[in-house]
Amino acid sequence: MATTAWTHERLEQLRQTRVWRSIFRRGPARTNRTRSLAVFGNLALHVMPVKVREKSLSVRATYYLGSISFFLFVVLTVTGILLMFYYHPAVPDAYRDMKDLIYVVSNGVFLRNLHRLAAQAMVVAVFWHMFHVFYRGGYKPPHEFNWVIGVGLLLVTLFLSYTGYLLPWDQLAFWAITVGTNIISYVPVLGRPIRFLLLGGHIIGQNALLRFYVLHCVILPLAAVGLIAWHFWRIQKDGGLTVRDDHE
Amino acid sequence: MPGEPNAPGKPEEKTPVSRRDFLNEIAGGALAIAGIGAAVVTVNYSSPNVLFEPPTTFRAGSPDDFPVNSVTYLQDQQVYIVRTDKGMWALSAVCTHLGCITQWKPESDQIACPCHGSKFQRAGNVEAGPAPRPLPHFSLVLGEDGALVVDKLEVVKETEILKV
Amino acid sequence: MSEKNTYEVGISSDALKQPRRVVFITRNTSAKVKEETGPQLMSFPHVILRETIAFQILTIVLVGLALFWDAPLEQLANPLLTPNPAKAPWYFLGLQELLHYFPPLVAGVLLPTLVVLGLVVIPYFDVNIEGEPLWAHRSPRRLQIYIGVFAVLFVFLALYDAWTVLVPTAVVGALGLVPYFHTTNTSRFQKFLGSRPLPWWVMTWFIAVALTLTVVGTFFRGPGWSWVWPWS
Repeated sequence: MATTAWTHERLEQLRQTRVWRSIFRRGPARTNRTRSLAVFGNLALHVMPVKVREKSLSVRATYYLGSISFFLFVVLTVTGILLMFYYHPAVPDAYRDMKDLIYVVSNGVFLRNLHRLAAQAMVVAVFWHMFHVFYRGGYKPPHEFNWVIGVGLLLVTLFLSYTGYLLPWDQLAFWAITVGTNIISYVPVLGRPIRFLLLGGHIIGQNALLRFYVLHCVILPLAAVGLIAWHFWRIQKDGGLTVRDDHE
Repeated sequence: MPGEPNAPGKPEEKTPVSRRDFLNEIAGGALAIAGIGAAVVTVNYSSPNVLFEPPTTFRAGSPDDFPVNSVTYLQDQQVYIVRTDKGMWALSAVCTHLGCITQWKPESDQIACPCHGSKFQRAGNVEAGPAPRPLPHFSLVLGEDGALVVDKLEVVKETEILKV
Repeated sequence: MSEKNTYEVGISSDALKQPRRVVFITRNTSAKVKEETGPQLMSFPHVILRETIAFQILTIVLVGLALFWDAPLEQLANPLLTPNPAKAPWYFLGLQELLHYFPPLVAGVLLPTLVVLGLVVIPYFDVNIEGEPLWAHRSPRRLQIYIGVFAVLFVFLALYDAWTVLVPTAVVGALGLVPYFHTTNTSRFQKFLGSRPLPWWVMTWFIAVALTLTVVGTFFRGPGWSWVWPWS
């Protein structure tokens, strides 16, 4: 007991120092004003509303599917960045690096498993989230455009998963991407040029691997972050989450 | 009408463009040109001019290497060399449906694709499955030294057979 | 100046003098969802706390699974040898099954584009906002259109032998007719079906077809995309 009191006192002293108060302006969030500031005055959190309706917080209201999709994206980003330390997007290094990650690198197999698992889970989560939002009418005005942003996010998720699929450079990856890019060439007029740009050539080789890597690690994540921020912002601006009446 | 003193209505006057609108239009046009230009430059940049891909013209040995009434699969080039009593031709081994590599099945006298079950005759025609087009024939000529030369970039009609 | 007070009954159009909000809703237009009231909570700490807990639970589940479920790695990519069967990632297997029946332009380009466009425009159609049950008026004309659409679909699908799409379409189509024909002694399930609006039926049909296609593509297709029983 005495130690806790001592620790509390020291913490309070720390909080009164000039240095601390220059970084953390608002003070502990114990009043509604400071609780508001905890969200409103926070760089990351102010995309969220300061207050929410209580019934939107129950699990059955949303099953937290949107949040889960976002958290999976965070897990994928962290594991993905770590995997980048050992992966060379080149032929034949890529496959060797996969073996390296699985058999040699400490916790490599775990990180790789986590990354792939989170990727599959994210595809499931975003589909389930979309269907759940539909069935509870969360697309109705004034939330229409947020639904459109959501469809954009679905496409980005699928494309992220697809570009990542090629990176191990094994038979599974190579032929899945062969079929997919050949489907693209069936798009009238633009199909072949798009395929050429995507692959950086006519065949799935060195250029294709590098382009898919850049898409997977830079272009698509940036697009995803932008759309996610916009998606959260629109929830706040359009009036908060939609909850079905029978789920109160 | 101009010139008539008691004309009932004024002739159409062109409203002059204000300086603001004119400058806005010029600026907008310049931005549009810059934007389109940037896009075109990016697409050109992304379109490689030099490709490091396997050569598409290759030598396939002499005609004697291929017995009459045979279908030989050249794995490195993904090409079948087919020889009948009428002559020889080179067939692409890439399925015309979605790009999988086909396999020659001598027991059923068919070229079969493992992906969606397309089946082709040795002349390339589709016998079964979702393939939309027959397997293309590549140009097959006899070089000066008597070696067969295949050019995968030149597609020829299936009636063009190399007589040996 | 004092005037004798005369009272007039009416609603002033001067919003400053008589601030009164009157909403005119024209028939057959969409109205905004009514502002929901109810108790509110501060995001900090209530939302932040719940989200943190959700994240922790998710992490625990993911880590637990990742420790035991190994991601696959097949042999080095070989451009000269196509594995048999060559399957796309599972979320595209439904598409690949569709490719088995329809030409690549249809199954690979047209249908996915139509699906995406269909999704995007959902919130801009009034029928999706009003939420009126499909058979609210038991209109015979609507029944004709319903049966007509399904007849055309069946013919089209049968023509292409696309029975993987036909079966779920038939099931959902039949379920959709239940509330029209069966009106006495309705069970809870029938009452539920009877209250479903058109967009519900369309989305349920879409999910049924997509699920069937994906399951068939994953478990029931083997070498050469031939039919296999998963337990054999």
